[in-house]
Amino acid sequence: MSSPLRCRTHVQAGRRPEEILEEEPKGLDDIEPKNPSSWWHLDASASEWDIFILSTSLKLLLFPAYRSTDFEVHRNWLAITHSLPLSQWYYDTTSEWTLDYPPFFAYFEKLLSIPAAFIDRRIVDLNNLNYGAWSVVAYQRTTVIVAELVLAAVALKFVRGAVDPLMQRIVSASLVLHPGFLIVDHIHFQYNGFMFGILLWSIYMARQGDKLASGFLFAVLLNFKHIYMYLAPAYFVYLLRSFCMSPQGQLLPRNFLLLANIVLVVFVVSLGPFILMGQLPQLLSRLFPFTRGLNHAYWAPNAWALVTAADRVLLHIVKQTGVKLALNASGVASTSRGLVGDTVFAVLPNVKPIHTFLVTLLSQTVFLVKLSRVPTYKSFLGALTLCGYTSYMFGWHVHEKAILLVLVPLSLLAPESYAYFRTFTIASAAGVFSLFPLLFTPAEIFVEVLCSILWATLIFVPLNRRLYEFPRSLPSVIMDLLEKLYLAGFLLLQVLVMALPALEAWITGARQATGATKCIAGEFSCPEPDPAQITKSEASNLAFLPLMMTSVYCAVGLVWAFLRLSFIYLRQE
Amino acid sequence: MRAWVLPCVLLGSVLVKWAMGLGSYSAGQGTPPLFGDYEAQRHWMEITVHLPVREWYTYDLQYWGLDYPPLTAYVSWLCGIVGSWFDPAWFALDRSRGIETPGSKVYMRATVLALDTLVYLPAVLLFTRVWHPHRSKRSQVRNVALITVLLQPALLLIDFGHFQYNSVMLGFTLLALNCFAKNRDLLGAFFFVLSLGFKQMALYYAPAIGSYLIGKCIYLGPKDGLQLFIRLAFVTSVTFLLLFLPWLPPFAPPRAILDPVSRIFPFDRGLFEDKVANFWCASNVVFKWRAWLERGALVKLSAGLTALGFLPAVVTLSDGTTPVLRLLPYALLTSSMAFFLFSFQVHEKTILLPLLPVTLLLSGAAPDSGPFAWCALVNNVAVFSMWPLLKKDGLGTQYLAAIVMWNRVIGYRPFRVREGMFVQYLSMVVYVTLLLLHVLEMLVPPPARYPDLFAALNVLASTPVFVLTWLWSIKCGAQALWALGGLGAGAGAGSRHKRTTTLSPVKEGEERVQATGLGFGVAGEVHQRRGSKGDARTT
Repeated sequence: MSSPLRCRTHVQAGRRPEEILEEEPKGLDDIEPKNPSSWWHLDASASEWDIFILSTSLKLLLFPAYRSTDFEVHRNWLAITHSLPLSQWYYDTTSEWTLDYPPFFAYFEKLLSIPAAFIDRRIVDLNNLNYGAWSVVAYQRTTVIVAELVLAAVALKFVRGAVDPLMQRIVSASLVLHPGFLIVDHIHFQYNGFMFGILLWSIYMARQGDKLASGFLFAVLLNFKHIYMYLAPAYFVYLLRSFCMSPQGQLLPRNFLLLANIVLVVFVVSLGPFILMGQLPQLLSRLFPFTRGLNHAYWAPNAWALVTAADRVLLHIVKQTGVKLALNASGVASTSRGLVGDTVFAVLPNVKPIHTFLVTLLSQTVFLVKLSRVPTYKSFLGALTLCGYTSYMFGWHVHEKAILLVLVPLSLLAPESYAYFRTFTIASAAGVFSLFPLLFTPAEIFVEVLCSILWATLIFVPLNRRLYEFPRSLPSVIMDLLEKLYLAGFLLLQVLVMALPALEAWITGARQATGATKCIAGEFSCPEPDPAQITKSEASNLAFLPLMMTSVYCAVGLVWAFLRLSFIYLRQE
Repeated sequence: MRAWVLPCVLLGSVLVKWAMGLGSYSAGQGTPPLFGDYEAQRHWMEITVHLPVREWYTYDLQYWGLDYPPLTAYVSWLCGIVGSWFDPAWFALDRSRGIETPGSKVYMRATVLALDTLVYLPAVLLFTRVWHPHRSKRSQVRNVALITVLLQPALLLIDFGHFQYNSVMLGFTLLALNCFAKNRDLLGAFFFVLSLGFKQMALYYAPAIGSYLIGKCIYLGPKDGLQLFIRLAFVTSVTFLLLFLPWLPPFAPPRAILDPVSRIFPFDRGLFEDKVANFWCASNVVFKWRAWLERGALVKLSAGLTALGFLPAVVTLSDGTTPVLRLLPYALLTSSMAFFLFSFQVHEKTILLPLLPVTLLLSGAAPDSGPFAWCALVNNVAVFSMWPLLKKDGLGTQYLAAIVMWNRVIGYRPFRVREGMFVQYLSMVVYVTLLLLHVLEMLVPPPARYPDLFAALNVLASTPVFVLTWLWSIKCGAQALWALGGLGAGAGAGSRHKRTTTLSPVKEGEERVQATGLGFGVAGEVHQRRGSKGDARTT
């Protein structure tokens, strides 16, 4: 990277992402798109093809990897949309995995189900529950890879015409190779890459100044997956201020009506058929099931995780010291159940959905006021990220996967300054680590850890080199040190998280070993190891300790990154 | 960032290898009673852990009896011991047969990765340092060479997909080559014996390595040469003795040594197994060897043909005038390919042995050069020749991914004919044939009379490429020898000291070798620069 005059013949002989990222552009041709309006003419350079081909090959290798129930969820949706008429899509309960995504995603599944039926009819058989043949695995995994092309194309578009194409290239590569997508989409199984591709497309359109298209795409996205509503306030304020109003604050009726109509059309296309059939209430009840607890089974590392942990610690102290305090009986029972079930606090006052809603709304308002004052693209990016971040921090029943809502827009902010980059580093490290518990089989844990280390090295190192700023004051030196310590702590945490179950297996193994030696000693009948005994010890308290440690440690980092980002954003001119 | 490239490359290669192992393994997964190669390896861990050494080669031979040399057995024992710490059930004697729990699978995969990382990875890393030293400035190119060898698709698919430990054998051989390049012949001989002691297939290299060492002894003259020879003989035999010690007196009766030996060299098996892309299997389509000749005659015939096949390698290396290390990769290729094509009882997986020198040559060849085209072609055809096996294993996706990834990484463009070289036209024809065969196999079911039709077509398509490669390696060896020999004669008598320098890979003969397009280098400019300095660098 020291010299832009790299010998091309050698570079041809094989490049890897880490080299490609640093490749200097050869001239203006490389930066300026020849035909920026054409989406089909992508002009990918050899190095960009390298990233794409190598990462796709790796994803192919992940086909046989562990897949969660989400795989069966999506297979079931293929079957529902293929075998049932539209009117029954949101009513079918053949499988427990009912359709609970908005209509565009259902249409998307319908589209996917057509080739599926040709490949293997049993894929779209409604009653063929938990179908796991190679045909369905290969097909569904392939659709994830193909759908993710949207993300790759948009990431490429972002590089063209960027203020700093070199930095943007690293950021784009970081998005395409993001371990979050690898873990959640290509192993766990979901279509996030595809939908974040649409989100980024919408953001890209905002960057290009085409706010109408941006609004349209976001409306489309909302009808694919409603979780993106977390981001809607930022979109609303931004489009209202920068598109529907003049800089002086006067309403531009033409623009306003245009935007409103376009968004309306999208919703009509999506929901129209169901409204006509009078199924809207049923559809909404599927989309928004308000019957869940504050925390997910594994606490997503947000503010509530810290509060819950504090409650556990307080309860422990109360029990130890014997202080007379009104304890919530069901809360005490809740702690002994580990992580399963609804969270009820034992010491602290309980949190209700309305509380989380209010906290979220209030904090979002702060950022939105700032956005409405400075409705620029950069400010929009910050507000968008913070909107998602606030919802993640204080939302009701947040999934750990929702952290992608924060990490993806935050990536775009990373090259702005060292402060943003540092926030991005901490949030990414904690966010990606918090996704690790999604996979719990040893083979896949190794894959996710390796991928994340590789990704972090390939993205953080070159960005850090370009953006690094010396800490200037004593507090910033201390902060810098603490943050580095925190990041280094993840290594220790991973070792601990892996060692605890291994320790348990060791104890179980030793017990079995004594049985085995007895067997060789010449006994004719070998006592079979008692299965009940093993499962009992595996379900012991140690089982959820690693999860709790992960959750709390990541929550510390994510809360800190949230405060950091809010501070940077609000102080920004 | 530069400092981070190498760790990233290594980490990336480990990731790819591990991801390859997520899939299924040897055809036998979930198929009692014998399961597959995976079960064989696991079974050896089981018996070595539980039985006294003397019984290792005699215990229940019908169920995957141990038939690799002792180093494999010792390594199996170690893996078995460590694995038993995790879960003794994985290796319980007899009761663990066919065990395929997720835990045991992960452990077995981890042993392959660990051994590969301990032996093969350092060997390849050293190779790029020792054999490409003139490119120290261009770490990027060296990293490309590194990744070319590390991600070689055939080895990845067999070791991490199908399940075997070939990289250990190949790694020891490569370590031996590195030692030879550094003039540490004794250490090299030691490593080569370890390679032989891990898998007897390393014998395929023995003619080349043996004649290289003997050629060097002759070349050094009566005094130094004899000294080296005696030392080599001593190191080699002591290493062998140590490896076989438990089966030798005084630890065992004299006849005990026959147990391992008869297991390691099984002449009671067929001429070839399944479908393998070698001379016997390919010609068997028209000429039914087994109907015409009996086993004894066939053994002799195959031995004779094999000897003829590797003779050129022996001749070029051991004529005693110029035992040039640079010829060694070609000689290794000639010799191992001759074994693959003509010897008795060859498996399709054995193509990995010729592929090692091929890939080493590839890692040093300039893109778009003749050697590059040849080596890339052979590598791809070799993977294709194992397709029937991989298909049986259920490794179709891995097959596709490994090929695409590797070809992209090395920057190979098979469908671009530039110089109009023979090999480029050949490649085009071959690739079109292979693609057609794949498409045909997908679309048309084989006729009931010939269920193995596609496997047979595969053999017929692959064998000619292997034969041509064998001839090409002989040609390259001869040309390089001529180039160097001519130089040696030009340098005149009395330059013995100077000529010993040809023993190390980067030497004065380089320009000539490069001129014939066979060099072990990447770019002409580097060589020209180095060529002027080469004389000063004597060993």
